[in-house]
Amino acid sequence: MAKVRPKKHPPTTDMTAMTDVAFLLLTFFIMTATFKSQEAAEIDTPSSISAIKVPDDDILMISIGTEGEVFFGVDAQPDRIRMLENIAESKGLTFTDAQKQKFSYQASFGFPLAQLKGWLDLPGPEMGLVKQPGIPTDSTGVSELADWVYAARKANSQLRIAIKGDNSAKFPTFKNVLANLQSQNINKFNLVTDSEAPPAGWRSDSE
Amino acid sequence: MAEIVESGGGNKKGDGKVRAKKMSTRVDMTPMVDLGFLLITFFMLATTLSKPTSMTLTVPDKDEEKKEIETEPLKASKVLTVFLGRNDDVFLLDGIASDDDKAPDELKKVRFGPELRQGIFVSQKRINDQFEKDEEGNLPFVVVIKPTEVSTYKNVVDILDEMAITKTKRYAMVDFLSESEKKLLGDRIKPEPAVK
Repeated sequence: MAKVRPKKHPPTTDMTAMTDVAFLLLTFFIMTATFKSQEAAEIDTPSSISAIKVPDDDILMISIGTEGEVFFGVDAQPDRIRMLENIAESKGLTFTDAQKQKFSYQASFGFPLAQLKGWLDLPGPEMGLVKQPGIPTDSTGVSELADWVYAARKANSQLRIAIKGDNSAKFPTFKNVLANLQSQNINKFNLVTDSEAPPAGWRSDSE
Repeated sequence: MAEIVESGGGNKKGDGKVRAKKMSTRVDMTPMVDLGFLLITFFMLATTLSKPTSMTLTVPDKDEEKKEIETEPLKASKVLTVFLGRNDDVFLLDGIASDDDKAPDELKKVRFGPELRQGIFVSQKRINDQFEKDEEGNLPFVVVIKPTEVSTYKNVVDILDEMAITKTKRYAMVDFLSESEKKLLGDRIKPEPAVK
């Protein structure tokens, strides 16, 4: 008697459910995505128990790098152009439209005014490779940070000031930044930190 | 991989009729799932889910600060002075002035974390129990934070955070060290000698 052999099928799995889940997750991540922006330097911030979120817009971010370099950034592109125009006007400099355009793409930068033009003339991909020396903040010597802050606030008066410092940045740099801000009569600012769980049993007074 | 699985194709029979080949409607979803997960991976890595938080810092106006120092000198007995030294060391001076004779013995070295928090709590309790509230209803306990040249930004944020944790409402950050404080701290606030 001939044996009845079942017809051989290639093994198939029903992928429909898996596809459903995959695309559901995909949709979720696309909707919630806020992309990391390109920063002038990698900054590792300290953590705090503060629960206040950094606002999304109208932010003037002053970053302090590991070596004490100071970077400066404004979030909106039109503000960046106006800010550059303001500072150019007050310092008697002129920037070409191409330079302004390129400047508006930079989330943050850290160059003394004298070197800024040279940096903006570099072709796009090379700009990210240059090591940025930081904006001069020395309270006794040359300080350009206060001028930048003034130019930025002239461009957008709603700007809130946030300071984002690296863990290993030394205190004197922070002090210089504060001195620059205080010279502009800015006495209230936000320190950007990572979030951290408060110790067990701790409760906020406002609750 | 991407073939369409055929099953039950018509087998020819000798009746001469040409039948349309029956095709299965099952589609192999594997590539689609692959793509889906690839995109998920990309978006997961490119997203920042934890938004950074911020702590608000308000510094006194430069002119006001001067006025305050002139009008209202703080009593050393109500003050916990916190010096931020190098290598994340913290020095606590609880309730005595830095030019006091006992200061060198009283100066306590602690580390960030539970040790520092304990130190603040002890001083807070002692001072709040010992003194009355002032006319405006403020607790008498005041912390003066003195960051030194060798301390880091992290130390500053940590100590401000500690103020929030211990619910110390009145604190001041002063970056000026008096002569007696410099003498008291001595080498501890000098940059670390280079390791040979």
